[in-house]
Amino acid sequence: MATEDSERFDQVDWNDLSRSGRFDLSTNSIGMLLTTLPLALLGVYDWRFTGQRTPTFEFIGLERNLESLDFFFIFTLFLAFWYLVLPLYQNPRMTRYYWKEFKRNRPAVVSLGWLGIVFVGGLVGPLVMNAPQQDLFIAYQPPVFTSVVDTTPATCVGEVMNGRCYGTWQHPLGTTQGGKDVFTMIVYGMTISMQIAFITTTIVATIGISFGTLSAYAGGWVDEIMMRFVDIILSFPTFLMFLLILYIYGAGLGMFIVVFSLFAWGGTARYIRSKSLSISEEEFIKASRISGASTYQVIRGHVVPNAASSIITQLTLLIPGFLLAEAQLAFLGIGDSTVPSWGQLISAGRSDLSFAPWIVLAPGIVLFLTILAFNFLGDALLDALNPEAEAENE
Amino acid sequence: MGFGRYVTARVLWAAVVSLIIVTITFLLLSAAPNPAVQRAATQAALQGGDPAEAAERVRELRGLDQPLHVRYFDFIRSVYTLDWGWSVSRSQPVMEAVTQALYYTAQYSIPWTILTITLGPLVGVYSAANMYSWKDHAATGFAFFGYAIPNFFFGIILLLIFGVWLEVIPVIYNTSAPVFSVENAIQLSVPVFVLVTGSIGAVMRVSRNESAEFQNADFMKTAKAKGVSPLRAYAYHVMRPTLVPLSTTLVGQLLALFLGSSLLVEVVFGIPGLGRLTYEALLAQDTNLVLGTTLFFTFVAVIGNLLEDIVFTVLDPRISYDDR
Repeated sequence: MATEDSERFDQVDWNDLSRSGRFDLSTNSIGMLLTTLPLALLGVYDWRFTGQRTPTFEFIGLERNLESLDFFFIFTLFLAFWYLVLPLYQNPRMTRYYWKEFKRNRPAVVSLGWLGIVFVGGLVGPLVMNAPQQDLFIAYQPPVFTSVVDTTPATCVGEVMNGRCYGTWQHPLGTTQGGKDVFTMIVYGMTISMQIAFITTTIVATIGISFGTLSAYAGGWVDEIMMRFVDIILSFPTFLMFLLILYIYGAGLGMFIVVFSLFAWGGTARYIRSKSLSISEEEFIKASRISGASTYQVIRGHVVPNAASSIITQLTLLIPGFLLAEAQLAFLGIGDSTVPSWGQLISAGRSDLSFAPWIVLAPGIVLFLTILAFNFLGDALLDALNPEAEAENE
Repeated sequence: MGFGRYVTARVLWAAVVSLIIVTITFLLLSAAPNPAVQRAATQAALQGGDPAEAAERVRELRGLDQPLHVRYFDFIRSVYTLDWGWSVSRSQPVMEAVTQALYYTAQYSIPWTILTITLGPLVGVYSAANMYSWKDHAATGFAFFGYAIPNFFFGIILLLIFGVWLEVIPVIYNTSAPVFSVENAIQLSVPVFVLVTGSIGAVMRVSRNESAEFQNADFMKTAKAKGVSPLRAYAYHVMRPTLVPLSTTLVGQLLALFLGSSLLVEVVFGIPGLGRLTYEALLAQDTNLVLGTTLFFTFVAVIGNLLEDIVFTVLDPRISYDDR
């Protein structure tokens, strides 16, 4: 560190470090509180004061309703912003280092770009695009640049040449048997996928971290019982149990997210436990303990940050499993059929596969690319955030 | 702790796990309204009878009016004595339906498992031996493709290409084809291929990364210096230590895939196996059959995990039983 602008040890911001009280909040926590409060108020308002079918924003004349799932999704977005994006901005040196390491993996950069598109599309898309409308007259429009025999669509939106109907930019990915625009449906599916990704990771991380640290610090037979419990969680046939729950109670997307994330935190808990056990032997932990750090401060300030890279990697590699499971259930047609997910679209187009393959192909390829991107990203994060794990993990 | 005691403890643990899962299932079932009771009530209401009375009659008939703990012990007893009740939708005992379906499931899952556990490590070690060559990159690409593409989507696409357009494989599964016949082999080739692509990727990646460690180990150098042929060196000195860490993850992954994907693949290809049985039972609201199939899958998972742990300790003499 010979460069001029590197961090120097004699310029420590002691005010920052000596914040001892638990109620003395950092910028991030203040920001989190400030953004969550209006959300919570809005949630209470929606829950208590608006009718069952009244849209949430009717008081300002917007025809937009928020479900409880949406509230939770926005909450996880705030979490991600204040505790993931903002810290990266606050520590430009580490961010530059991570980015340098990360950039070496070309497929991962492309994957990140793709996931960025899906993320932004899922957030902004439903706000600017109208929900896909049923219109039987324009059923089975082919995607742009392709053509089908003009007897397939009821009426051809594009031009008809030599008895073939050509696709138009009006429906870039064609339309379904109900005349719904495939592209719009895919964008709406992005929201669903992002909701699954964000909410499940939040739940899994919260339960996994608390359970793991609790188990490590309790020790003795409590630890033993908790870890045996994790064993059960890990060997639990989640998909089947969900089928059973679905059969008995019927379940929507919210139930899906809850059930699947309640049975996915086993690995995270195990990892956090071993990490906190090994880290409590380190010299710097002893030093901070002697200086009077409480167990909570040790966990918050040392265990979690040290394990963060592995947790992030693990979570990134968990998400594709959730997306796949959702698509599978939607495809079987036993999930909530009102959720406009990609799996739903695949299952809807299956019967028309031989003459209108784009209805299945478009969402299928998007799903494939998203799962692939998460896998590539997880692999690259593994290398960038945690070089020593490169050999042992995978 | 000796090996015998370790195995005993492990088997007991598996029994406990299965008991917990069965208990959860029971609680789930008893907390919800029974579809059969509801059906009876609806029917009575439609025919002008008293719905409450009809519901009560069905409840009595099925022993649902007894206290919870009696029903619980009855449930446990019948689950473990394999008395799984009568399937209404198929008009046969649940056990019989499950065994019949298993016959079809085994036909594709046995070749699939064998192919995955033989080809996976082979290709993995091969690509580690040729690391960063085009062969390695091709294998890696294939591995990523395999575990990223949704099985059911891949199945639909292959069925479209080979079944509908090229007409090489039959679109409808023929149940009357003898097990060992060309016809059966052809109609099962695509489902097996889809499942193998899905499962082989993870196996390949793990064995590639694990065996990369042993490529330059001292014992490999010694073997090469002695003049051991490359084939023998890889088979004896690289493959064997690679298989140990592989076996810890392998069974779990295969099982997870088996539980999830077999259902989808069977539905896509129309194979009347266990997965489809579960699916149809769900649609037909046949509680006994739904329970039977899910419990069957659960037991397979529990026993699979048990076998994996035992095999792991047999394979690797370095593991001690003490801290388990």
